[in-house]
Amino acid sequence: MAYAYLFKYIIIGDTGVGKSCLLLQFTDKRFQPVHDLTIGVEFGARMITIDGKQIKLQIWDTAGQESFRSITRSYYRGAAGALLVYDITRRDTFNHLTTWLEDARQHSNSNMVIMLIGNKSDLESRREVKKEEGEAFAREHGLIFMETSAKTASNVEEAFINTAKEIYEKIQEGVFDINNEANGIKIGPQHPTTNSPLSTSQGGQHAGGGCC
Amino acid sequence: MNFFRGVMGGQTAGPQPSGAETIQKLCDRVASSTLLEDRRDAVRALKSLSKKYRMEVGTQAMDHLINILQTDRSDSEILGYALDTLYNVISNDEEEEQDENAQKQADDLGTQFTEKFIQDPEHITLLLTLLEEFDFHVRWPGVKLLTALLKNQGVQVQGIILVSPMGVSRLMDLLADSREVIRNDGLLLLQQLTKGNAAIQKIVAFENAFERLLDIITEEGSSDGGIVVEDCLLLLLNLLKNNSSNQNFFKEGSYIQRMKPWFEVGDDNSGWSAQKVTNLHLMLQLVRVMVSPVNSPGATASCQKCMYQCGLLQQLCTILMATGVPADILTETINTVSEVIRGSQVNQDYFTSVNAPSNPPRPAIVVLLMSMVNERQPFVLRCAVLYCFQCFLYKNQKGQGEIVATLLPSTIDANSISAGQLLCGGLFSADSLSNWCAAVALAHTLQDNLTQKEQLLRVQLATSLGKPPVSLLQQCTNILSQGSKVQTRVGLLMLLCTWISNCPIAVTHFLHNQDNVPFLTAQISENLGEDERLVQGLCALLLGICIYYNDNSLENYTKEKLKQLIEKRIGKENFVEKLGFITKHELYSRAALKPQPIFPSPEQMLFDHEFTRLVKELEGLITKAVHKSSEEEKKEEEVKKTLEQHDNIVTQYKELIREQDVQIQELKEKVSSMTTQTEQLQATVSQQQSQIQQHKDQYNILKLKLGKENQSQSSQGDTQVNGLQTEELAQLREELEELRRQQKLLQTQLSEKDVQIDSLVSSMAMLSCSNDFNFYFLHPLFVLFHYTISSS
Ligand SMILES: Nc1nc2c(ncn2[C@@H]2O[C@H](COP(=O)(O)OP(=O)(O)OP(=O)(O)O)[C@@H](O)[C@H]2O)c(=O)[nH]1
Ligand SMILES: [Mg+2]
Repeated sequence: MAYAYLFKYIIIGDTGVGKSCLLLQFTDKRFQPVHDLTIGVEFGARMITIDGKQIKLQIWDTAGQESFRSITRSYYRGAAGALLVYDITRRDTFNHLTTWLEDARQHSNSNMVIMLIGNKSDLESRREVKKEEGEAFAREHGLIFMETSAKTASNVEEAFINTAKEIYEKIQEGVFDINNEANGIKIGPQHPTTNSPLSTSQGGQHAGGGCC
Repeated sequence: MNFFRGVMGGQTAGPQPSGAETIQKLCDRVASSTLLEDRRDAVRALKSLSKKYRMEVGTQAMDHLINILQTDRSDSEILGYALDTLYNVISNDEEEEQDENAQKQADDLGTQFTEKFIQDPEHITLLLTLLEEFDFHVRWPGVKLLTALLKNQGVQVQGIILVSPMGVSRLMDLLADSREVIRNDGLLLLQQLTKGNAAIQKIVAFENAFERLLDIITEEGSSDGGIVVEDCLLLLLNLLKNNSSNQNFFKEGSYIQRMKPWFEVGDDNSGWSAQKVTNLHLMLQLVRVMVSPVNSPGATASCQKCMYQCGLLQQLCTILMATGVPADILTETINTVSEVIRGSQVNQDYFTSVNAPSNPPRPAIVVLLMSMVNERQPFVLRCAVLYCFQCFLYKNQKGQGEIVATLLPSTIDANSISAGQLLCGGLFSADSLSNWCAAVALAHTLQDNLTQKEQLLRVQLATSLGKPPVSLLQQCTNILSQGSKVQTRVGLLMLLCTWISNCPIAVTHFLHNQDNVPFLTAQISENLGEDERLVQGLCALLLGICIYYNDNSLENYTKEKLKQLIEKRIGKENFVEKLGFITKHELYSRAALKPQPIFPSPEQMLFDHEFTRLVKELEGLITKAVHKSSEEEKKEEEVKKTLEQHDNIVTQYKELIREQDVQIQELKEKVSSMTTQTEQLQATVSQQQSQIQQHKDQYNILKLKLGKENQSQSSQGDTQVNGLQTEELAQLREELEELRRQQKLLQTQLSEKDVQIDSLVSSMAMLSCSNDFNFYFLHPLFVLFHYTISSS
């Protein structure tokens, strides 16, 4: 399928916060109740539409476990967007955000768009981190913020799409050097017409099946 | 410098210093000299000795050389010499032809020095940093040294590179180097780097390796390109083989489409270079990696779909039918097409439509089958055709039907050669390989397909003039009993087992021939040699199937009677032992591994993959069935019945629940649409109420006015009514009339609404019988309803 742009994302955050589930919900509209520890890195992809343009998202879901940290760092530099995920029912995953952010900032290109995600919003009764805390952290560090549930799919589309919107806006503003693939952005075979007002159609379509 | 010349030139008189001594002196020089030039000369000298005195230089000089790498970073020349020297002592490549012993010693040296070098992981990190140096003299030997280290101690070196920040991505930059030597050696480095390490493979892919490699392949002329293309292809294979994540990325990156032009080989295929053959082999392998039967079914299916949509499959089929293609490429293309169509209906349908450019055009399938049953064709090609045919039929009921139809009396086309004819021809030819292939091919037309198993029973063969035709089933058993080659009999027995299993009618047909059961029992009970064990096992399986799938319709051969026969003639234990010969055969597990029929030699062509699955499924069941007494069997039959009943009940309930689900869904939708309707109605009603109220007020005021006027009129006397007053009165009356009319209209409207609400209420009340939650909507509506009635 022809696309106007291709964005590379990474998903990072502590183990068990639901990174793989978020990706699965986004690409396959499924939820996986058992924790299938990610080994290293796994790949997923989907097409979305922003501003009437097809945008291909290539997403690398990284392992949260400490022992994989050195491997997963290799993915920071080439990504245009990052979803930094914590679990609202586990405060420690929120407390580790600073470390994650430092790591990301150190190894990534400076324009990488980071979306902070408080996942498992369906588990309200077990909540340990207030939404306001997430918002405050995001504001303080210049991130976009959202609470999601990979289980109910609440805000999952939005998280991925809003990140793409932000990258798209940065491209329009000329912040990204789109000719350097190391930035995690690639122009598709069909050239986009630039500078139309930003309007997003939500609910991107599935790219799962066909590829041609 | 005098000293140095002395060492090198050997011009001084006196005893020659030993290699070790010379090297020691050079090392001292490297370590202690303060002059860069001196150190450089010494390192250069070490380099020139490093091949002849590999052992000594490696042992004595390594630390010094590493030291140079760390401290003399600004002089690319000395760095270059040091790297070259290290490469010479570590690499095993440069050695000339040696006898085995010397080669092994050299390998040991390489391993030993590699271990020494990587003892401190920092040395690898150092090397990675040096690779960022653009100077040719540093970068090139650096690449070669790292490649050698990886070759000798792959796992450890990979581990170190993996954890060094940006390690892998730095090495990826080598592919962008404009100097071809470095790019090409970079390819070799990446090949070693990615060998067997999925984590590194993924990072390399993430760093846009696919894009770069495909670009290089195109630039270099695709299959016409040289060894660089081969190296790119080898690296691509490393990245994709057994790496589902990378395969997914490759597919999602639309790189499959970019493989299509590789196979545009044109019409003139004579005189392919060896390099071109190698390149195409690797290209075909890459296609196969993406659609391998061992991949997850979903992944393979989506790649297959893509390969059809982008025309890759069509391109491959063109090669299949082209002339002049070297035999081994043709074979591999057949194997590739096989896996691209396997289990994919669309691709299988397309494949049916492919015609060979013969006159008249013949279906590709027919042309291929001709090769399969042709003794003069190479063995591997015949295997490939069989594989292709199997893949064409895999999960393809339609295709199975089409092939079987070419054998049926009503559809036989006498004018052209059909697949069915070729298969029958192969089945009964004098060549045991053809027999086997045809039998297995025919078995695949019946796989999981009861209809075709029954259809095939209708096939009659004309044997010789004047004699009555004989059924295909019978002819198979006839040949079986004629004691042909093991390969032939194994093929036929596999066909028969597949045919009659799960098909009681076929079992009955088989048992109907009075000769068959005695033949089988004789085969099983006899004490035959090693060669016959597999045939005995298969005979036992066939007899077992006759018991297990027996519907007791033949009085002489009911389950019970057959079991008694086994007990009497063979013995239960003996029977089970013979049955076990199949899975115990040395070639069995090999065939069970993969669907592709590959055999080291034609004699080893005995088991078919699908058949091994059937054996796995039936062995236990048959063993149990044979051991079971008739009472047990009866009991089991009863249990089965009750279970079936239970199943039925469960299914019924499931059905009911499903229906109710649908109903609830519908009701939910109704409720929500009614809620909106109600809200709308409520709004209208309250609007109307206020209107009515207004009218009432106006009316009252008018009435009051009218009353007052009447009073004043009567007090003043009738005569006092002047014309003006009468006029006013009439006007008021008209207004009043008008208001009354309006009110009436509104009231009718209201009562209409009432009726509507009424019906809504009752239908919702109905709904609430099945759904409690409706009540919440109902309740306020009732209130509203009563209120409107009372207020109007
Ligand atoms: N209730 C609920 N559970 C979730 C949600 N997201 C993930 N989970 C559960 O959390 C566990 C971990 O999810 P994963 O997605 O495998 O976690 P991960 O972040 O990928 O973990 P690593 O791969 O080890 O880094 C699983 O048992 C999921 O079912 C959510 O939104 N709500
Ligand atoms: Mg995970």
